[in-house]
Amino acid sequence: MDTTQLLKGVLDLAVLAVVSERDGYGYDVVRRLRAAGLDDVGDASVYGTLRRLYSGGHLTSYVVPSEEGPHRKYYALNEAGRAQLAASTGTWRSFTDAMDKLLGTKEAAA
Amino acid sequence: MNDTIGGEVARYATAVRAAFADLPGPDRELLLEDLEDHLQEVAAEAGGPLEERLGRPEAYAAELRASAGLPGPGPGPRRRRSLRESAVGDRLERLWRGARAHPAGGAVVEFLPELRPAWWVLRGYLAVQALAVATSLLVHGDGLSFPVPALFGSRVLGLLATVAAVAASVALGRQRQAAGRRVRVLTRAGNAALAIFALLVVLELGANEASDDLYRPEYVTSYRGPLNGLRSDGKEISNIFPFDADGKPLRDVYLIDQDGEPVVVSSDDSPDLQREVPLDQDGNLVANRYPQVQHQVDPATGQRSPGPTPEFQPPPGPLRTP
Repeated sequence: MDTTQLLKGVLDLAVLAVVSERDGYGYDVVRRLRAAGLDDVGDASVYGTLRRLYSGGHLTSYVVPSEEGPHRKYYALNEAGRAQLAASTGTWRSFTDAMDKLLGTKEAAA
Repeated sequence: MNDTIGGEVARYATAVRAAFADLPGPDRELLLEDLEDHLQEVAAEAGGPLEERLGRPEAYAAELRASAGLPGPGPGPRRRRSLRESAVGDRLERLWRGARAHPAGGAVVEFLPELRPAWWVLRGYLAVQALAVATSLLVHGDGLSFPVPALFGSRVLGLLATVAAVAASVALGRQRQAAGRRVRVLTRAGNAALAIFALLVVLELGANEASDDLYRPEYVTSYRGPLNGLRSDGKEISNIFPFDADGKPLRDVYLIDQDGEPVVVSSDDSPDLQREVPLDQDGNLVANRYPQVQHQVDPATGQRSPGPTPEFQPPPGPLRTP
């Protein structure tokens, strides 16, 4: 199955989860998502998602100096972001439960 | 910084920005303000030219646009289509045909006309309920009285009206086949209005029930509350400004708590206020040095100006302790 299609639906949740674990700047979030196994995640998608969550009031930001060049804009979860993460986690869990059950019965029948 | 990398980043960024030419200036700036910094990070990591790793700038811009939830760069708003020719209409029609084709679905569809008399009875009842709600808006009354409607505050009157309305509704239903076109159109409009009213009644009754049920522990358990953050009287603290006894503002002050742990403020700043957190020599965040430098960011232009510093006057004279 094409994972890029699946990713589109859950990228918000994945980005919120990564940022809740530790504050991060754009490319750092991309790297951590890939390290977590989401190899197909697009750089532009993560950038766009971060900007949307930020202008939607789910993330806050602060600037940290960097040795290699321009300072980095770190993103952090705020109250609204944490609530969104909790709600989406609930939705995700019930969705995967349902899918697991569905696939489980199919396998048993085959 | 490497010159060739800088040039490559600038070229790529310019091409991406060009694809957002249709956005109003402030929106574009809000979306793309970190683009160069971000591309710089990608370029700094070894691994070939940007275009090879990120794809063509136009494709990059399209992906960015989609994930940021922006509409495509189309030529203005599209013509609105009616429900019948829309994708939703198509799908509904396919669903209906699919349901009829299925044996169980076919049985249900065949059975539907037998429910007609039940609808006639319900229709009479709903009409009186609607009348009761309408009159209670004019004359002070009970509003929605369930299950027996109260007409002008009287349930007896409501019950009598219900019996009469049900009889009338059944009579109307039985002779509708013979009725003229005008009566049929009027009946259809009345049916639709009553169906909407019924939906509102169900929602109202449901809302009363659901308010007891609002607390949903399965979501609350996974919410661990703020992981870091500082509060005073329930208000989040996003920066600290220390002053000495003479009212002179102090700079570069480290704050620790009763256990010697660093006091770290909430990251809950407002979007137009940008704080800077310094790094130590090993690259670790130094989050408990205050006051943290803050900048006011103009959301329209993205320009930064020194942030506001709160004023403070210490109490005059020496202080007493008990």
